Amino acid sequence: MDPLRSYLGRLLLEEITPVVMVLTTPLAEAACRKSGLSFVDMLAPFSLFKKIDVPVRTASEVPYRLQMFKIRMVYASDVRKEDYEVADERIKPVVSEANEKALPDLLSDPPQLEDVLGKPEAELCPLWIKKFNRELMQTLSYSEHETFDHPVACLLVVSSMDKEPISKFVDLFNTNQLPSLLNEGIMDPQILKHYLVLHDQQEGPQDIAVNVLAEMRSTLGLNDCKLLCINSSTEADGSNTDNSWLPYIKDFMQDFASNHIIPYMEQKIRVLNQQVATTRKGFRNQIKNLWWRKRDDVPEAPNGPMYTFTSIESQIRVLGDFAFMLRDYELALSNYKLLATDYKLDKAWKRFAGVQEMSGLCYFMLDQSRKDAEYCMENAFSTYLRIGSSGQRNATRCGLWWAEMLKTRGQYREASSVYFRVSNEEPSLHSAVLLEQAASCYLLSSPPMLRKYGFHLILAGNSYYMSDQKQHAVRVYRNALFVYKQNPWSYINDHVHFNVGRWYGVLGIIDVAIKHLLEVIACSHQSLVTQNMFLNDFFHYVQSMGKKFDVYKLQLPVFNMSSLRVIHEDHRTYASDADVGVSESTWHELEEELIPSSSVVRTNWLDTQPKSSRKYKDSSVCVAGEAVKVSVELKNPLQIPVDVSGISLICQHSTNLDALTSDVSGLTLDGGEDKVNTEPSVSVFETDEENFVVSKLDIILGGGESKRVQLDVTPKVEGILKLVGIWWTLSNSVVGYQYFEFDAQKKNKKGKRGHRRSLNSSLVVIKGLPKLTGSIDRMPTKAFAGDLQLLKLNLRNHSEYAVKGIKMKISNPRFLIPGDSSDIGLKFPHCLKKHTQSEINLVPYKSTKENFKGLLFAFPQDIEIQAGATLSWPIWFHAATPGNVSLYISIYYEMESSSDIKYRTLCMHYNLEVLPSLDISFAISMSSSRLQEYIVRMDVRNKTPSESFVLHQLSCVGSKWAVSALPSCSSISSVETVSANQAVSCFFKIKDFEADSCKEADRGSYRTDMTLYPGSSGDVFDIARSPLADFHFQERYRQGKLVKGPCSLLDFVVISKAAGNSSEPSPDLQLLSHHTCHCSALSQSPVWWIMEGPRTITHDFSKSYCEVSIQLVIHNSAAHPSSVRVVTSDVMPEKSQTVHPHDPSSVQGGWYDVSLENDIKAISSAKGTQHEKQSSKSISPYVWCSLSSAQIELQPDSCARVPLKVCIFAPGTYNFSNYELQWKVHPSEGAQVDESKNGSSGSGQGHPFYVTVLQSV
Amino acid sequence: MIVCVAVVGHQNNPLYLQSFTEADDALKLHHIVHCSLDVIDERVNNPKRSAPTLNETFLGLLYPTENYKVYGYLTNTKVKFIMVTTDLDVKDADARNFFRKFHAAYVDAVSNPFHVPGKKIASRSFGARVSTIVKSFGSGTTG
Repeated sequence: MDPLRSYLGRLLLEEITPVVMVLTTPLAEAACRKSGLSFVDMLAPFSLFKKIDVPVRTASEVPYRLQMFKIRMVYASDVRKEDYEVADERIKPVVSEANEKALPDLLSDPPQLEDVLGKPEAELCPLWIKKFNRELMQTLSYSEHETFDHPVACLLVVSSMDKEPISKFVDLFNTNQLPSLLNEGIMDPQILKHYLVLHDQQEGPQDIAVNVLAEMRSTLGLNDCKLLCINSSTEADGSNTDNSWLPYIKDFMQDFASNHIIPYMEQKIRVLNQQVATTRKGFRNQIKNLWWRKRDDVPEAPNGPMYTFTSIESQIRVLGDFAFMLRDYELALSNYKLLATDYKLDKAWKRFAGVQEMSGLCYFMLDQSRKDAEYCMENAFSTYLRIGSSGQRNATRCGLWWAEMLKTRGQYREASSVYFRVSNEEPSLHSAVLLEQAASCYLLSSPPMLRKYGFHLILAGNSYYMSDQKQHAVRVYRNALFVYKQNPWSYINDHVHFNVGRWYGVLGIIDVAIKHLLEVIACSHQSLVTQNMFLNDFFHYVQSMGKKFDVYKLQLPVFNMSSLRVIHEDHRTYASDADVGVSESTWHELEEELIPSSSVVRTNWLDTQPKSSRKYKDSSVCVAGEAVKVSVELKNPLQIPVDVSGISLICQHSTNLDALTSDVSGLTLDGGEDKVNTEPSVSVFETDEENFVVSKLDIILGGGESKRVQLDVTPKVEGILKLVGIWWTLSNSVVGYQYFEFDAQKKNKKGKRGHRRSLNSSLVVIKGLPKLTGSIDRMPTKAFAGDLQLLKLNLRNHSEYAVKGIKMKISNPRFLIPGDSSDIGLKFPHCLKKHTQSEINLVPYKSTKENFKGLLFAFPQDIEIQAGATLSWPIWFHAATPGNVSLYISIYYEMESSSDIKYRTLCMHYNLEVLPSLDISFAISMSSSRLQEYIVRMDVRNKTPSESFVLHQLSCVGSKWAVSALPSCSSISSVETVSANQAVSCFFKIKDFEADSCKEADRGSYRTDMTLYPGSSGDVFDIARSPLADFHFQERYRQGKLVKGPCSLLDFVVISKAAGNSSEPSPDLQLLSHHTCHCSALSQSPVWWIMEGPRTITHDFSKSYCEVSIQLVIHNSAAHPSSVRVVTSDVMPEKSQTVHPHDPSSVQGGWYDVSLENDIKAISSAKGTQHEKQSSKSISPYVWCSLSSAQIELQPDSCARVPLKVCIFAPGTYNFSNYELQWKVHPSEGAQVDESKNGSSGSGQGHPFYVTVLQSV
Repeated sequence: MIVCVAVVGHQNNPLYLQSFTEADDALKLHHIVHCSLDVIDERVNNPKRSAPTLNETFLGLLYPTENYKVYGYLTNTKVKFIMVTTDLDVKDADARNFFRKFHAAYVDAVSNPFHVPGKKIASRSFGARVSTIVKSFGSGTTG
């Protein structure tokens, strides 16, 4: 880019130009005043020559032509250095003027990124900033160390009215009145003088002036005197007469510039150049200069030694500046360079910096070395800064030039950093403008550095604010807004918004102020103090608005719209609000069997309202008079409590069914979008008291608190109810409102759950319907496992119509079973006691079970709940397993009257925590001494931390089995109470009566139920009756799923009571029933055998050996015939007691942490070791005689006896267990072979059988 | 002395910013960190100088403000670490070392399964670890 065409080039051409000092007489000035102008102002338009086209020849011989030329006309009184304060005052209006212009801009929206990036440079750096820059530079005019402001010529003006004009000229150039610079010897007083007679044609004929001119010419010189005629006539003579004198001025100026000033400068340059060449140029002069300067001890001073205009340094400077003004930059540069070394040696830093600055500009204008130019500018800049306060403004000017230079070359980043450095040295107002320029440079750099742009704008804004330029401050802050918008740099964003808002408020533009403050009031991340400040300012401005303020999407408090739930009751009603939260599928599953299939319902409904049915399809239905509940979560993001009042729904109601249904869907969507875009005032939606009632809610949200609130709207009339939004009042001053956004996507998502539950803003209101409310009396929330209670289900009909056909479904029949109508009056728990006629009652309970099949319970057909009536129904509760359980109950009922909806369901939901109580387990092993008998060990462990339980009863389910205490421990009263954390084991025998075909033995000690509590022998609970039987049925079903064992023998029911604190059981004591189902023996073989024979034999061994006859009784308990082989062997097998490593004593001591398996083994091992002791004493052999093996076939459930004989040779105790049984079950044809696992074939060692043989005396 | 450390996510969103001065200059430090992102962007997008330092994570001195020096570090996932210090002569090795430790702490913090990527780091132990690193940096240069 041609430097002359650049902004800086033009700036330099206009600013660094010859100065003409003007001296006028008062009369001459007065003549100009008539036209409303000063003399200088009058000439000013003509001092700029666009195309002067003058040949110039400076030091070199080759002439060149000047095109543009400008001279500066200045009054002599102005040729002085101004105070900075005065100068700064002059700059201020420039800024504040722009302030006024900025105001309309502030009302528009803040700019966006695209707007800013698309702006041309000129707009980023508006005219007033350029003007400001220029004014800032001009504060430095007429400084001592630079000469380009020194007058080149002097124009003396005398009016033709003046008496004795010649003497006036002399007076004018009287040294006393001349600028101090000339008198102090800094400027050369010998300058070009030009004399001018000013003649106003209104004041007389031109002859006077001509005479004066002639007089002047004769005394002052022929060429230097001029006459200028003006016409101060104000009469409207027409433009021609008015302007006829203007060309005179033009001609005069042209002549003055081209024939006097330029030639004078040319000549001066040549003279000075000659002078410099002789004194300084050349090798000899350089040496001399160097040596001469070195010797000179100059004291260090910021300005260096005083240089007068006669000193060679000043003259070189004048030479340089003149050359610069005449655009002979080469010449100027060489002189500046020469001068720089001198000043450097003299340590005249300010002058040095000035010269460096100029050489930098020369380099720029020559467009030669960018590096050199930059180096010079930087050098000048830092030198100015180094000399302290006197150089500050110079540094600023230098910086501005430098920055412009960099901008011209596209080095915007460097330019902005220069601006930034400059801004540090200036008072706040100036620095603000400079920072703004720095910011715009960052934006112009490529790629744009937006963050720095924003930052510098913020800095500028602060400076503007400090210097009381609020409009500017707001303007630059606004410009920076978009930088922080996208990224969550919330601290900065808040700061910007807050300040913009506050300043708008100060400027009185309160609505915009509030808009900006709204952005920051919900700042959760700020400190408490800051939040308070934001909120206070916000309310302050809201109150100064003087009216309630509607804010769309007010962020305080935050309504979590995703948490929005609309609860409306159509077919389904809820017992409590908590039931709504249950997942849809749960209810749906429950209702599946309950409700008539939907197509049937639809048909009925279609019949009643055929026209609108299709339109209803997508909208939800609610019932007039029943509240539609909307629950939503709101959160206070601040740490300060906020007062939120009057939270209510915005609704619209229309009774016109057809009109509205047709555009229900359309209106919702369109309207919704419109609302979001246009944000209509909430006042549109006045509450329509006749058609619906909305609830209002006032709450105070603590710091950081979030609450779920429920808002109601109760439609009163049939029609369409539309939920539009929500509104609330914050601190009684701001009304916030927000519209529900039901977008299509959401609808689809929710649509999976069935159209009825979808979030639809429009509800079809239908006629009032009966509605049941239900609850279970004294439903526990916490229970011990096994807890059995009789509860009451209350159903109340609030409406005016009766309902019928009630059905109920319970999700978890393990926990809840509906009772019989007769149960209601019964006294619990006595109703469960066994009566003598219990067998008779068995039949009806079966039917109850039938009723309850498939979890569905139908109330008797004749039951109707009349209007206002309450139905109570017994319901049994049993806490089956520990854990958290949710119980769902769905109750179906039909309308007595005909209406739109034929049926409704009532959904109830209870959450239950079941605590572990008694852990009961059974271990069953086959008895080795009796056929069809089992030994049972019951381990009871109390898992509660504090409760004690009394064991009441142990029952075997079914008539097949009977239980009896072991003879050895018939008194088990010691285990009646199981204290907290205690464990108890007790042993029983059980006998299978049905299967035992061998002998229908005495049932004497065997009973189905055995009381464990000594004092309650009569109070046996009947486990074959409802509800115990029903619960057992459920338990058996559930536990059956878990059991994987080969076969299940029997089920046990243990009934216990909570002991409470007192020893005496309280009357309404808790009853717990524990069901252990599918217990099976540890090892079971289809063949059961025992040895029979004499136990003690007396024999005289002196005569012969003893022969003992014994019998082996074998019973086949399998369902199929089997063959059994008995093999005896005479070889003593190695005792294999090592299988049981447990020491019996340690087993006895271990109550806890002994696994079931080990315990069982311990039983047998205890026996085994006993024998070992004995047998080790009587190791003497015995011999089987008669047979070594026998094979028998056994029919199912039959016995066989195998006679055996043993020979003994010495007295002693013998264990005849040295035989083995091998069996094989033959399954019948076609039968499943699933029993193969549990021993279709197998073998067993003989049971121990001890016989003591004594020597007869 | 380190006055501020910051972690900035790959979308130039602040993840963690902690100042270690008593003065209430959080806003200023936010601005400084925010601005230094411009410099990071510039360095990353002008790879002409980065031929020998192609895989270098340490970005060196980003820019000197009046009172501070800002150092940067860029991970492979475009997460930026920024350190603002008042020390005028920081050895590059020290800064490198600091950033390495800081990076390790960050990696541990985001490896927490409860940390949501792209959200602010709320871990208290990360904060404690960073302050230890910051303290050790101060002692390392003076001692």
